[in-house]
Amino acid sequence: MKIEKFKDNGRYDSYMNLDEGWLDRRVFWEQSIYDREMEQIFARCWLFVAHDSQIPNPGDFLTTYMGEDGVIVCRQKDNSVKVFLNSCPHRGNKVSFADAGNTRRFVCNYHGWGFGTDGALMGMHEEYCYDAGDIDKSQWGLKQVAKVGNYKGLIFATFDEEAPSLENYLGDFRWYLDMLLDNEEGGTELIGGCIKSVIGANWKFGVENFIGDAYHAGWTHDSGARAMNNGLPFPPIDMKSSYHASMNGHGWEFGTEGVGDLFLLGRPKVMEYYNKIRPKMAERLGEMRSKIFGSVASASIFPNVSFLPGISTFRQWMPKGPAQFELRTWVIVNKNMPDDIKDDVTKGVMQTFGPGGAFEMDDGENWENCTQTNRGVVTRREKLHYRSGISRRIEHPELPGIVYQGQYNDANQRNMYQRWLDLMHAESWKDVPEQYSPRLNGKETMGPKAGFKAG
Amino acid sequence: MNLELIKTIEQTLYREARLLDQERYKEWVGMLTEDIHYHMPGIETRYRRDKTEQVHDLTRMAFYNDDLEDLKKRLRRLETGTAWSEDPATRYTHMITNIEVVPTEKEDEVLVYSNFLAYRNRNEKDQDTLIGNREDIWRKTAEGYKLAKRMIILKQNVLLSKNLNVYL
Repeated sequence: MKIEKFKDNGRYDSYMNLDEGWLDRRVFWEQSIYDREMEQIFARCWLFVAHDSQIPNPGDFLTTYMGEDGVIVCRQKDNSVKVFLNSCPHRGNKVSFADAGNTRRFVCNYHGWGFGTDGALMGMHEEYCYDAGDIDKSQWGLKQVAKVGNYKGLIFATFDEEAPSLENYLGDFRWYLDMLLDNEEGGTELIGGCIKSVIGANWKFGVENFIGDAYHAGWTHDSGARAMNNGLPFPPIDMKSSYHASMNGHGWEFGTEGVGDLFLLGRPKVMEYYNKIRPKMAERLGEMRSKIFGSVASASIFPNVSFLPGISTFRQWMPKGPAQFELRTWVIVNKNMPDDIKDDVTKGVMQTFGPGGAFEMDDGENWENCTQTNRGVVTRREKLHYRSGISRRIEHPELPGIVYQGQYNDANQRNMYQRWLDLMHAESWKDVPEQYSPRLNGKETMGPKAGFKAG
Repeated sequence: MNLELIKTIEQTLYREARLLDQERYKEWVGMLTEDIHYHMPGIETRYRRDKTEQVHDLTRMAFYNDDLEDLKKRLRRLETGTAWSEDPATRYTHMITNIEVVPTEKEDEVLVYSNFLAYRNRNEKDQDTLIGNREDIWRKTAEGYKLAKRMIILKQNVLLSKNLNVYL
């Protein structure tokens, strides 16, 4: 057998065929493909950077990453949010070393350059060393991102001036996101703190698992499900009334039974709470969405945020090279929940989807090995199978998106890789093809009528 | 503090570590009181001037914030026989040092400080080391000293591991 040296020619359609339903494993392994992802995807897409509740007051800030670029997210005096690079324009040092805090300025440890909470250069140590004409301070602030947007408490930023509006970027996925972010008056908040861990896997394995892989749950997590619920196995899947829905690379897989994920959380009080507010939820979101919420479900926002509505883990997969990511996890709750319910949700999430959680422990192990086996030059040239449910596409009157029937399906994963491919090839946002025409462009996503196919 | 009590506590901590090394979790649970609070907070990196209470605020995110039932739930996973990632088994060593025994206001309880180093190794060469401090309350019972409270401070911001299939 002849093994040719890997040459990245910038054409990635040779590494997958989504109509046939396969991927070449090198997309999970090659450094040059990863480097291209950072430029084509992470430097251009809208990326989640914070939840409103993490930085409620002026001067509140947190540090995070957009791709591998470190950024500071800071609340302004006028309540807006600015996002700028955590790197001093003088020699490049970081200007904040904290995960979060409140401050009046960011000062570089190296030469004492000081920046306002808006990122503007205010002054520096021994300023007299700069003669007239040496520096125009207005031009040497911390580099701002191109745009900052907010969807119902989730703050996103993009480095790309040409990126579509956040509303268009999320598109019809807003209809689904409302189930997480707006199922009760008052919206959501994140519980304080953030649990971070390191997994030796490609970032896409985490995202694709949450975007559509209901299939793994009953097998990988048999032990977790039984642990949380007195030996009872994973709730059964109804292939007739469960679905995959995706658009713009985002995706949500779900049942419509309303209780599966809530059951897996193993906290009866939380189940009771949601059952109590469900009639109101139906008024806010319609009957269909009130039945989807709480079902066995998982979702991802392209490129690297995932969550489980009902279980309430909210997480981001931070790429750290082709074979490693940092997993950041939070607990998302409704702001108006009583404290004891918030507390119960938090404990439930820690026991299921924390690093010591009954579910989480089995996932990381799988993804590491899915990645690390590609160290072998022969292994990494082999295909992976992504064809499950390829002929089950339907048009659903109530469900927006590219919809497939039966939540055991690779449909959302295929569509995520289609978006990946489209972005990897596109010179600019104008060249990114529209794979689905949205129903809800410029329309209200709330209420029982939203989402229905017109006519 | 009487030396015999110190010796008893030390031996209890070593026995606990041995049970954990050998995955003898039923016996380990037998060393916990009914009202155990087992807590390992997640600690963010913050500036010295930042007074955010990260350790004692029990509403915040944590690795563990468990009562006895919660711990039993986690351990039940191992009894199912389908915890695939636990088979082959992880190899554990817990090292316990810097043991300090301090009297409390309650006659039957002692405050015990200790440091731990927990080493894990799996499959071919998967390994990690967890190091930190513990602050325990051990209570005297008819069946010997039992753990009533444990606060674990791990010295990592980002957990430099993929999971915590280990008790510290």
